[in-house]
Amino acid sequence: MIMSSIWQNILISLTSISNNKFRAFLSVLGIVIGVLSVTLMGTMISGLDQTFEKSMSSFRSDVLMISRFQWFDGDKEWWQMRNRPRMKPEYVDNLRNRSTMIDAIAPVMERSGEISRNNVETYARFFGTTPEYLKTNEEQKIESGRFFSNIENENGARVVVIGNGIATGLFENENPVNKYVKIGRNKYLVIGVIEKQGSFMGMWSLDNQAIIPFGTYQRNFAKRGWMNLRVKTNSEDINLAKEEITAQMRIIRKLKPLEENNFGINHSSGFEAQYNAIKFTIAGVGFFITALSLIVGGIGIMNIMFVSVKERTREIGIRKALGATPFNIMVQFLTESIIICLMGGVLAISISFIISDIINDFFPSTMPIKLALFSILISVLIGVISGFIPSSRASKLDPIEALRYE
Amino acid sequence: MSFIISLKDIERFYDVGGEVVRALDGLDLNISANEYISIMGPSGSGKSTLMNMIGCLDTPTNGTYEFENEYVHEMDEGQLASIRNRKIGFVFQTFNLLPKSSALRNVEVPLIYANISKKERIDRAKESLIDVGLEDRMHHKPNELSGGQRQRVAIARALVNKPSIILADEPTGNLDSKSGVEILNIFNQLHDKGNTIILVTHEEEVAKNAKRMILILDGKVKSDIKN
Ligand SMILES: Nc1ncnc2c1ncn2[C@@H]1O[C@H](COP(=O)(O)OP(=O)(O)OP(=O)(O)O)[C@@H](O)[C@H]1O
Ligand SMILES: [Mg+2]
Repeated sequence: MIMSSIWQNILISLTSISNNKFRAFLSVLGIVIGVLSVTLMGTMISGLDQTFEKSMSSFRSDVLMISRFQWFDGDKEWWQMRNRPRMKPEYVDNLRNRSTMIDAIAPVMERSGEISRNNVETYARFFGTTPEYLKTNEEQKIESGRFFSNIENENGARVVVIGNGIATGLFENENPVNKYVKIGRNKYLVIGVIEKQGSFMGMWSLDNQAIIPFGTYQRNFAKRGWMNLRVKTNSEDINLAKEEITAQMRIIRKLKPLEENNFGINHSSGFEAQYNAIKFTIAGVGFFITALSLIVGGIGIMNIMFVSVKERTREIGIRKALGATPFNIMVQFLTESIIICLMGGVLAISISFIISDIINDFFPSTMPIKLALFSILISVLIGVISGFIPSSRASKLDPIEALRYE
Repeated sequence: MSFIISLKDIERFYDVGGEVVRALDGLDLNISANEYISIMGPSGSGKSTLMNMIGCLDTPTNGTYEFENEYVHEMDEGQLASIRNRKIGFVFQTFNLLPKSSALRNVEVPLIYANISKKERIDRAKESLIDVGLEDRMHHKPNELSGGQRQRVAIARALVNKPSIILADEPTGNLDSKSGVEILNIFNQLHDKGNTIILVTHEEEVAKNAKRMILILDGKVKSDIKN
């Protein structure tokens, strides 16, 4: 019985809307824009989240990076840290011996360059590190072949483990393992390929890395250079590990009690804080635009509903004379305003599906189903809120006055 | 004997720009089941106001109105709507059909508010249209029908919920005499079937058709004659 009367109201509303298609279309535009900004903003943030999480996967919460710089340091500009002493390879063994909280530690040097094979050249990000590196970066798995050994590291063997992007770039469908590539003037034997990693925030690819032994890097590229120490801790409490390693580093660096640290111990939470700040800015601006356009859209709907009630005063009178209660009339007009808003919502969701599909080519963005449902809910809510006053006015019309209305 | 409608000392005042218009001014009227009543009176005497009162579209400023032993003047909007829906069939001078809906849909409206299921609704609406001789006009919109046909749709609509009382305010006022006679014949048949009929008219001929003639003057019953 209730279902049938809901259906009845939907039919009445659809008829009324289709009698004024163009007007309904115009009045729905505000809602479309409002819901569109809800969905696009949500899609964008969820896309950001996805990429951030993926990008961060190589920087797990139990990993610390010891470096000349403290990232995201509010007190210091990067140029104030520029003249600090460099990291030294000796620190690796030194720290491992001193600290009880280090599970694995590896020096990492890096630079950009070219890698080629048979005159095909491609960009690469070179890393020089030790075999222990794999333990500090468990997300990076060897897809085929192997990582280099300690002996290869100490001997400065010309072997390289390449990222998936380089593998496809230089070898297409061939298996690169046990084949040679050229780095600078030297030939290197490819001994392993790393699984596909994706890109960092959609900006730079992690698949164009080429990892060579630390010794080889120092011998062939540079002895001194940009170096980090990558540490995997065995401590449950990352802050404890941070403190302990800081203390050890201060000893290694022979710092006096009042001297400040001349190194940084970095953790992914710094990234996260930074990222969250960006995200909240986007969300805040988005929320403002969204709220504004939804309010404007809602006012448009309210306006059109007042017009609709006015135009159909006589119909309201007739319905009341035939037994419609104020509640019946209220529901009838509320249904109409909800349907108009729902149409706007559905239209907006379809449009943003298309838009996010297009954007997806440049930046990962897929609209979550939850977001679509949420938008539907928002549309219904706007329909109820903006339809409420006109509907309640309609429901209170005096039947005789309404019947007289010309 | 008991009355189905009992109006006692009914007053209905309108405030028009500070001046009080006494549309009904101390009116008494009792009506029994299956009566056939015509109401006459000069323009502005309060006939329509009285009909709206009886039909529960309006409530009195003062006085008591008992409908089937219930006090109408104490009812809320919802209860009034329910009486209008189930007990009363209204026929207006200007038909008051929904212009964009077919005859069938128009007749269905009272059944919608009576929460009747779709199938039964359509069956009963069709039956009602057949009763007034419109079986071949069910899917026409009001503007595709003649005045007489429109009024018959309105009567079908008034009858579809099987009310005991039919109220008609100048039902033939907008019709030519031939259509008028057709409409009156329908009322006569309804009366024969046991319905109570109250109709307002300006025409002596139409009034004489009824079994009881009431004359209204200045919001009061001036005369009440049974044929
Ligand atoms: N809504 C209203 N506001 C103010 N005055 C009204 C209203 N409705 C009716 N009246 C007044 O009440 C009086 C009775 O009106 P009513 O419509 O009942 O007359 P009537 O007998 O039906 O007249 P007619 O034969 O012309 O239809 C009239 O003087 C009219 O002006
Ligand atoms: Mg009148």
